[in-house]
Amino acid sequence: MNPSPNFSQQSADETLRLIASLPAPDGLSDRIHAALRTAPRNAVVLRWPVAISSHSSFLRGAAAAAIVCVVAGGGWRIYSHVPAQTSPQIIQMPQSGSLSGGFGSAGARHVPDTLNGPVLTRHTPVQPLPGISDETQAQPVKAIVPPAKPVARAHKHASHTTASAPVH
Amino acid sequence: MSASQTLFPGWTEIASSAVHDADRQAAKEQALAALVEQYASTLYRVAFSVLRNQSDAEDAVQEAFLRVLRHRDNLDEVRDHRVWLIRIVWNIVLDRKRRARTRPETDDIADLARVLPSHGLSAEQLAAAAQHHAHVLRCLEQLPPKEREVLTLSAFEELSSVEIAAVLGITESSVRSRLFRARNLMADLLQHARSTR
Repeated sequence: MNPSPNFSQQSADETLRLIASLPAPDGLSDRIHAALRTAPRNAVVLRWPVAISSHSSFLRGAAAAAIVCVVAGGGWRIYSHVPAQTSPQIIQMPQSGSLSGGFGSAGARHVPDTLNGPVLTRHTPVQPLPGISDETQAQPVKAIVPPAKPVARAHKHASHTTASAPVH
Repeated sequence: MSASQTLFPGWTEIASSAVHDADRQAAKEQALAALVEQYASTLYRVAFSVLRNQSDAEDAVQEAFLRVLRHRDNLDEVRDHRVWLIRIVWNIVLDRKRRARTRPETDDIADLARVLPSHGLSAEQLAAAAQHHAHVLRCLEQLPPKEREVLTLSAFEELSSVEIAAVLGITESSVRSRLFRARNLMADLLQHARSTR
């Protein structure tokens, strides 16, 4: 014969109430107090080792003055070690290889002249030189200035550039 | 007014407030100690009803009071300390239960046999009672979590449905409906278990 649902319900309630009414073990409160005593607490900024009475205002004032002197002295020490800057420092960056603003050398050792290209300057009349005919002198001369080379390549290309610089 | 108070009025106020802070801290710790004395056993029973292990239940109660210690500045804002503490320990035990592995049935029976009151019962009768209660608790574990929690808390006579709702963070009507469902499901499970034996 199966038990009725009411009996099952009562049985469950009885068990749960029994579990809920079980007594706590002895000494539980004492152990909890001990755990709370040893637990870390928030730090207290001011904890006077000696009880300060209401008449010891002089001691409080002296302590306050000492704190002010320590703080001020430390600040002065830091301030006196800071060097005064008279003018802002300007850091000069080295000039880039290309005057025309075109392609850079990217640190390459052998850069053909065509990378930078010729730089044309203004037409300037050429002063008559002795030994040269008037017809030749009448023709305008365009001076083509080779582009500035980086210092690192100056030695190798000095002969090349002077020989190959076109002159019209 | 003394000379030092004239020169340093602010500093004397800071010093006196430090003394007052120490008094306030001492008062809060006394209040916490009173809560321990008053509610430690209640919290233990709540924890044991879920964890069913003495040492785990005691750890949970300790953890609850450590949390209260960390938030002791808010003690004055709490209206009902009992329900507030039960809610804290309830959340702790639910977390622990979720993280714990499934306990074998023999452990439950052994633990219950140790803690159940004998009341003149023989060892065999005590073992049989422990087995019966362990079986009921196993059926309880098969309930859905929401119904199981309400049914567990309803066993505590000192908790009303309003207080159970406050612990669980639900409405009173939800407590009643879940309790009704829980009891029906529990009866079905126990009846089914008995019929299969």
